Amino acid sequence: MSWEKALIDKAKEIIDMYPQKRSALGPLLYLAQEKDGYISNDSIVEISNLIGITEVQVKSVASFYSMYKEEQTGKYLLSVCKSISCEINDSRSVIDSVKNFTGLENYETDTEKVFTFEEVECIGACGGAPAVQVNYETVEGLTPEKSLQMCEWLKEERPEIIVAEELQEKFGGVKSFDWAIKDNTGSSYSVPGFQNIGTAKEKS
Amino acid sequence: MTDQIKINVNGSEISSKPDQLIIEACEDSGIHIPRFCWHKRMDPVGMCRMCLVEVETPRGKALVPSCTTKVSEDLVVDTESDVVKKAQEGVLEFLLINHPLDCPVCDKAGECPLQDQTMAYGPGESRFVEDKRHFEKPIPISEIILLDRERCILCARCTRFSDEISGDPLIEFIQRGNKTQVNTFPDEPFRSYFSGNTVQICPVGALTSSSYRFKARPWDLKKVSSTSNCSSVGDSVELNVSQNKMLRILGEDNEFTNQGWLSDKGRYNFEYLHSDKRIETPILVKNSNKELTINETMELISNEILTSENPNISFIVGHNSTNEEYYALNKFVENLNKVENENTVSTTNFYLSDDYLYNGFFNDDYSLGEIKDLDSADTIILWAQDIKDNLPTLYLRIKQAVKNGKKLLIFGHTNTAIKELSEEYYGENIVTNNFEFNVDLSDIPNLSKYIDGKDVLAIIGKASPLQNVNPIFQLVKHLDQNSNLKILNCFSKGNTLGALQNLDIVKGLNEFVTEFDSSKKNIVFTVGSNPVNNSIYSHKIKEALIDSDFVVSLDLFKNETTELSDIILPTTTFGEKEGTFTNLEMRTLMQNKILPTPGSALNEWEYWLILSNKMNLLESYGTEAELNSMLCKDYIDNGNIPSFDNLNKPSNLDGILNSKTINIEVKNIDSTNLEILFVHRLYGDSSSQINSPSISMLGSERFIEMNSATYFGSYMLHSDVVTLIQENNSIQVNVNINENLPDNLLVIPINRRGFQDLNPEKKVELEAAKSREQLSVT
Repeated sequence: MSWEKALIDKAKEIIDMYPQKRSALGPLLYLAQEKDGYISNDSIVEISNLIGITEVQVKSVASFYSMYKEEQTGKYLLSVCKSISCEINDSRSVIDSVKNFTGLENYETDTEKVFTFEEVECIGACGGAPAVQVNYETVEGLTPEKSLQMCEWLKEERPEIIVAEELQEKFGGVKSFDWAIKDNTGSSYSVPGFQNIGTAKEKS
Repeated sequence: MTDQIKINVNGSEISSKPDQLIIEACEDSGIHIPRFCWHKRMDPVGMCRMCLVEVETPRGKALVPSCTTKVSEDLVVDTESDVVKKAQEGVLEFLLINHPLDCPVCDKAGECPLQDQTMAYGPGESRFVEDKRHFEKPIPISEIILLDRERCILCARCTRFSDEISGDPLIEFIQRGNKTQVNTFPDEPFRSYFSGNTVQICPVGALTSSSYRFKARPWDLKKVSSTSNCSSVGDSVELNVSQNKMLRILGEDNEFTNQGWLSDKGRYNFEYLHSDKRIETPILVKNSNKELTINETMELISNEILTSENPNISFIVGHNSTNEEYYALNKFVENLNKVENENTVSTTNFYLSDDYLYNGFFNDDYSLGEIKDLDSADTIILWAQDIKDNLPTLYLRIKQAVKNGKKLLIFGHTNTAIKELSEEYYGENIVTNNFEFNVDLSDIPNLSKYIDGKDVLAIIGKASPLQNVNPIFQLVKHLDQNSNLKILNCFSKGNTLGALQNLDIVKGLNEFVTEFDSSKKNIVFTVGSNPVNNSIYSHKIKEALIDSDFVVSLDLFKNETTELSDIILPTTTFGEKEGTFTNLEMRTLMQNKILPTPGSALNEWEYWLILSNKMNLLESYGTEAELNSMLCKDYIDNGNIPSFDNLNKPSNLDGILNSKTINIEVKNIDSTNLEILFVHRLYGDSSSQINSPSISMLGSERFIEMNSATYFGSYMLHSDVVTLIQENNSIQVNVNINENLPDNLLVIPINRRGFQDLNPEKKVELEAAKSREQLSVT
């Protein structure tokens, strides 16, 4: 499906932030990811027209980076860290408990499109290992039990907007660092919540 | 900066240009460094690591890729050390991990850099016992190119070519890591005018062309260098023949012309040579296509000429003859005019079958440029027909020049496809739809900034067949007064310059139509031309030929013109004859023979010779070489004549630049039709193309172009398929929207099937098509 005018206007605002149109490719791909939960070919055509490079050049970038998904993700993208700090702090059991609950293997999405599960490399939360991201909102200091509770909560509550602080309060444990800034924004789909490109959503 | 610096390679000293890459410096001194990704006509990328060499650095010896490292004074390089050998073995072992090693069924085997370098530098055996990665193979990525991703070693030559050189990046790396592959976007095939070059530069058998797949083995091929007729650039090519069949055309690197590249038309337009529709014997059309012997035919033609009273003899010549053939024709006509015959005075005229012919700039008032001036000029001015479609390899040179910082100024409205390359694009505010200037030349914005006192190369020709040429002369005069100007006369078709150099006075098709006097006895020869198709004068020429008394066509195929002929004579073409070719900068290049002549076909010059003898006009030549030495006498620089002997010297393989006096007599026309711009597209419906199965369908789509304001505003259309109506003619066409066009201008490709009956002087109507019909003509 082609893009609506509001989305195209948003894209044009982003393009204007760069000296060269093609530099806006990354953020525009996030817009596409937020729209459909993956980078659809229709979105690729739109982006290629907007920034004046060919479709296959857009596809080349979109298929290179693993945060741009080629298949539609569920409403909640569960990224469990498997790198060294988390591994030492028993991320394996967190992974197992998430896999058990969702019944998903790596990179799989359930048929209701609620969860997508992936094991990822370091997400920069070593101080609070093991850590998990839900739609790129980070929760630290998880235990297998807490992660199970989190999955259950997501499945029952189906929150529209995921906010890291809320998750941390409800299910988290040790935190690597306290920024001491209240941040009530999060993300609404499998895309990071960025203020400057408008993917960050405020939770009321 | 000194001109040369010294570096030390493998213990001996070599000299190199400063800033050269190590791999280039070594190559120039005869030291070969193996490589896959590096190509001298493209930017280095350092992808394959095959060219690793050891270099001495302040911290000791280090392996560096020689394709991305520049030389410096007293650099010490080792290309053969044990460390280098080990690195090469390692690189090859890795490259072969996923390579299928299907050489026995691979077209590239025998000329494959991966195969050859594995033999020369490889480890000899593999330690890889796991499963190889698999892809579906091969997948078509366009009508003419197939891709086998398993064989690909990810050197990025093809993707870099399509981005850097041809400027239509329709193939790219997709995915990453082990899954990385070259591919196109779904439903967006690799439709590039230059896609065949990627097949030629692919260092493995990943890219293959449909026309050559499984046809031959490289070691079975007979090869000869020649010059392509595709455009007047005169691309250097290598013809590959097996069992007397042309199987492939490769680009050869000629520094002055194509620099190794070819357009797909130049590369794949050869299958017609072996079409079973080729005419192989003379045919008497008016007598139910009776086949005749050469002798009978020549008898008939000479009788017709000799017994006619004061005939008008017209020769409509094409652009695929050799210089020698044009010269022989000219001699024949010269002698014909000398014949003393009590009741006959024949009038003879040459007409070149090219709608874009005009008088050009050939006198001494202006200095003529060369293609290589693109690389030295400050500013390039382009006002001519669509360069990308008509002179594709010249477009590549222009693109390269722009990339190297030359400023390109384009005057409207034909070169819309390359607008983004230009520094200034002078569209409808400057140039009217009638190709005249809206403003005073000195008021053109920024023009003086780019030309005043600068070195300017102007690529100048008629942009529209119907344009009044005065504005062209006006522009050139203005440029000449303000800059250091050189002109490249833009006549785009084949050996046009050879025809102009060797025929006494050349006129255009408009002259043929206007001078045609049906009250007189008219004998018309069409020589390798099909003027009843692909010309804006086609419908008038058709009427004239119908009114003519005797029409002789020298051609390869039956076509729209031969239908109206009395006699068809089978001739030879590119690859079947030896001769010289003159390109648009008047560089003469050699065309060599590698194929036998089909049936009883003869070269054009042989017909003129036999005809002369039949008519007792004694000629003093009997071979191409003799013709060549006769025509060489007229060249202006007598020390540098383009004789066969000279051209075959190793130092002259890139051709010889030399000129002759040129006489063109084309009257100016006052265009009255403001709404249509007739153009020639690269692919069309010429007999040669429709008889070459691999590319025949590429010219089958019928489309017209206009901008969206014209589309919605003037014509109020809403369908992308419309009917074009003119009097009794109606043609269904696709509409392509091109926003770079001015308002109220329709672009019609005259060389696509169905448009030849349009009368250029009358208006056309457009209406939305009632039903969507199949528009492709097969």
